[in-house]
Amino acid sequence: MSTDVYIAAYTRTPFTFARKGALAGVRPDHLGATAIRGLLDRTGVPGHEIEDVVWGCAFPEGEQGLNIGRVTGLLAGLPDTVPGATVNRWCGSSIQAIQMAAGMLAMGAGDTFIAGGAESMTRVPMMGFNIAPPPEWSSELVSDFINVGLTAERVARDYGVDRETQEEFALASQKKALAAQADGRLAAEITPVDTAAGTVDQDGCPRDTSLEKLATLQPAFLEGGSVTAGTSSPMTDGATALLICSEAALKRYNLTPLARIAGFGVSGCAPGIMGMGPVESSRKALARAGLKMSDIDIVEMNEAFASQAEACRRELDIDPATLNVDGGAIALGHPLGGTGGRLVGKTASLLQREGGKYGLATQCIGGGMGIAMILEAA
Amino acid sequence: MMGKAAFGALDAGVQRAAVIGAGSMGGGIAAQFANAGIPVDLIDIPGEASRNGPAEAGIARQLKTGGFMSPEAAALVRAGNTEDHLGRVAEADWIVEAIIEDIGAKRDLYARLEALRKDGSTVSSNTSTILRAALVEGLGARFDRDFVISHFFNPPRHMQLLEIVSGPASDPESVARAHSAGRQVLGKTVVDCRDTPGFIANRIGCYWIAMAVLEAERQGLTVEEADAVISAFGVPATGVFGLLDLIGIDLIPLVWGRLAETLPDADGLQAYDLAASALSQQMNAAGRLGRKSGAGFYRKAGDGSREALDLASQTYRPLDRQGKPGDLRALIEAGGRLGDYAWTVLARLVTYTASVADEIAHDLPSIDTAVALGYGWREGPFRQADRVGAEFIATRLAEAGEPVPELLAKAARDGGFYPKGQGGSASAAPVLAENAAAVLEDAGDGLGVFRIKTKMGVFSPEVFDVLEHAIGLAGGKLSALVLAPGNPRAFSAGADLASFLELAEDPAALDHFLSRGQAAFAALRTAPMPVVAAVRGLALGGGCEVTLHADRVVAHAEARFGLPETRLGILPGWGGTTRMYHRLSDPATGAVGPAAVAARTVDLLLPGPMTGSAAEARAAHLLRAEDEIVMHGDDVEGVATGLARAMATDYTPPVEELLAVAGPAGMAGALSATRAHHAAGRVDGRVLTIAEDLAQVVTGGAAGDPSRPILEGEMRDLERAAVLRMAARDETRAAMRATLKQ
Repeated sequence: MSTDVYIAAYTRTPFTFARKGALAGVRPDHLGATAIRGLLDRTGVPGHEIEDVVWGCAFPEGEQGLNIGRVTGLLAGLPDTVPGATVNRWCGSSIQAIQMAAGMLAMGAGDTFIAGGAESMTRVPMMGFNIAPPPEWSSELVSDFINVGLTAERVARDYGVDRETQEEFALASQKKALAAQADGRLAAEITPVDTAAGTVDQDGCPRDTSLEKLATLQPAFLEGGSVTAGTSSPMTDGATALLICSEAALKRYNLTPLARIAGFGVSGCAPGIMGMGPVESSRKALARAGLKMSDIDIVEMNEAFASQAEACRRELDIDPATLNVDGGAIALGHPLGGTGGRLVGKTASLLQREGGKYGLATQCIGGGMGIAMILEAA
Repeated sequence: MMGKAAFGALDAGVQRAAVIGAGSMGGGIAAQFANAGIPVDLIDIPGEASRNGPAEAGIARQLKTGGFMSPEAAALVRAGNTEDHLGRVAEADWIVEAIIEDIGAKRDLYARLEALRKDGSTVSSNTSTILRAALVEGLGARFDRDFVISHFFNPPRHMQLLEIVSGPASDPESVARAHSAGRQVLGKTVVDCRDTPGFIANRIGCYWIAMAVLEAERQGLTVEEADAVISAFGVPATGVFGLLDLIGIDLIPLVWGRLAETLPDADGLQAYDLAASALSQQMNAAGRLGRKSGAGFYRKAGDGSREALDLASQTYRPLDRQGKPGDLRALIEAGGRLGDYAWTVLARLVTYTASVADEIAHDLPSIDTAVALGYGWREGPFRQADRVGAEFIATRLAEAGEPVPELLAKAARDGGFYPKGQGGSASAAPVLAENAAAVLEDAGDGLGVFRIKTKMGVFSPEVFDVLEHAIGLAGGKLSALVLAPGNPRAFSAGADLASFLELAEDPAALDHFLSRGQAAFAALRTAPMPVVAAVRGLALGGGCEVTLHADRVVAHAEARFGLPETRLGILPGWGGTTRMYHRLSDPATGAVGPAAVAARTVDLLLPGPMTGSAAEARAAHLLRAEDEIVMHGDDVEGVATGLARAMATDYTPPVEELLAVAGPAGMAGALSATRAHHAAGRVDGRVLTIAEDLAQVVTGGAAGDPSRPILEGEMRDLERAAVLRMAARDETRAAMRATLKQ
């Protein structure tokens, strides 16, 4: 029996600015339920045949507490018999959720999973409500953990990514996202969300900006620093859902897969340079897939900050033409627990849309980690 | 989310209001309804770009100019236009018209309102120049019954006077509603006026301005000399020339011209026809319109210095600063140019007011109240006359061969317009305890009223002597206590900074001072009697902390609360930090878990919050939902007294609470926002240090542990230790000294 694992389908809600965006009034569990219903509508898979909902969330507290994975499945209309779990690896939560579904599938513990994640950075603040790290930690270590903006400054300094370079990177991300939005390339993956004020079917974060405008912004995290709001991903609300299937399940539901999971890696680094996490995790995943970076045709790397994304790009020697072709998180937003699902789903979709054999989805994780998944066109 | 309506606002017979005309007056009146929690329609003519544009612009203007006491209040104002939404007046109990001063336009609107409004609703006009009799003509008996003039002053939120004019056919209920809603909803002092031009305040005020300006010119005074003399009358420092600059000299023909037209030829104002004066015409022709044109009787020169206009040559010259004029009677008796001018102004003012009193008002206090509140005078013309001496004025007039009006002659005979001992001062309440700093009055039936007498209500050791005495009487002689404001400007400005600085030199003495305050306030909270704080004016620092310990606060809507301690390098140390932590532990305030509560407490207290209204204080949790907001400052104490008596019948005092704390693990969260601001250069190291002191207190200190809730008293000990530590810092004392110097 084949133990290959496939990304059978992917969708997401629009991503909108936290607090001021169109989805600020929507609970994160409702965002997730909308994505799951959209996923089932697209695939026609009967809800009761889902083995498990494996659900990423970076700050599972408040409205994201109570095991949001289980709550979201029930809100989506899945029957009581379909369980749900919450996976927490901060920003890496939903890639991790996909990997955990894939792992269960590979050991024969089910063949049809929903994986994904959600975050309302409006309704549960980044770092949660009750920040209580071990009191014996130094204030520097605590800062490295919870003030990720300062880690982006450190990466900019240590890896020589100056402000102009960051702003060029950010502007390119915005331009790619706006072009993709104008072409309807983003709409293809979006499940609209009904709110009291009407239906939201467009991403809200991309901005038409310029190098001149970006140059006027004050440093956001460090006095005299180089990282601004314009070169950081914005606080975002959104959710992502993917269908993870075995070959048998693909046949049973008559589904054309987007991609096969070909490798995975997760790694740790010093919390103070968490932005460099993708380097080691991507190397691990490539090695496990028996590939080199030059074999990769499509890369989706999260842009938590332009400084770390550019530094990782250089370290991994990623061709800019293959990177974040529809824009990255600086433009699209970064709903922490929902982002990894977008990266994997996007990579899989792009392998289909753009052609190419292998893709890489990777991201940095606060606290000093990286996560990476290799996909193969199917 | 809107808080509840102001105390008594819903009992005033106006559940919903409508204001037609969204200019600065109409918008301001609508905002004031909303400030009291009463929903209101604001309706103006349709706009070209947007149908409700003009009304929406009116709301936006009030948001910008401070007409709303909190931004949330604006949600109670519904914008509309006269074509699509005039039907909404059917829901209103009071419809205020505040459109242009055009009798035809007003009457047309009234005719439309008549067909739409519900029976028994009150309609009023904010006209300042048109008589009621003219406005009701031909509109039928129903309109005549329900229509009054409601004359507000600008800006409606801050000007306390509301002149009401009713007519012979008025429905007493409608008039009574305008009175009660004017006071309980809009917070105004309502004065009944007769239906005469300019009503009361502007009739006297306009005469006074015209007379004082033209007499100054005639007697050859400079504008600075005249304004300095005028300030001896207890009027705002703008005097008369400065006031005209503020009003706008282009309004002279409109306001004074119109008043002169409508008054009979024999009226005293005709002798001072400001609109027809050469002075007004020259100024208008030259475009010297006052502040709006950058130059009037005064102007700012290119180098920023102030200049004054030479009236004769109509050229500007450097300002000739005048000394304070001193007592008015002494000034008059001293004679000379300034004394003679002072006498002329006083004599004319009193003579004119006395001669028109019966024509414009129902009684003398109406005139004094209206003029004082409408023009910001310390007291009205008759009270001023009494201060100088009615007999002195009458005698001097007679000696000069000038006519003495009958009312003045009578006042001279009786010993004043308000003769002493004639139903004047109410007998003082019996005193239970009193020293130089505070008093405890017996208001009967076990109700004590505690009042601080020090300047700005500052807490001194003597204040605590009386407060502790009051607490000692709880459950015995006293069954309820009201903490009342010592004066209208300040409930209490807290501890005296100068004495705090002295104490800071002696840690043992400072510790005693802090302990005493903490113990007294804590005892106030747990004493077996309800404690109601009646707040008007400032409640700052310790003055705010004491209100945090009261069972209930009754606050004037314009009261200003604040905990500015951190601005001086310390933190609220009389239990205030602990009370705020406890208050923010209430899930209703939105925080969850002790680390989150600690973070919110630090973030709330660190900037040293100061609020500009009771509504803002409620948003900052310095007032709770159950505390009451009262629109009229004079009603605060009465409402507090009533509440205290009611609560005394079935009262269980709160006990010292157990507080869940995060312990040292919560420090990181409590400081995360401040540390991020510090890294980004938005706050300095001194502020971060203060935040660390605050965070230590509200996380329960080094021994704090989430599994072991602490008593409030334990947190107060941390609070006190923090203040002692902070007060010992050089930079704290430097900040305090700098504040003292200001």
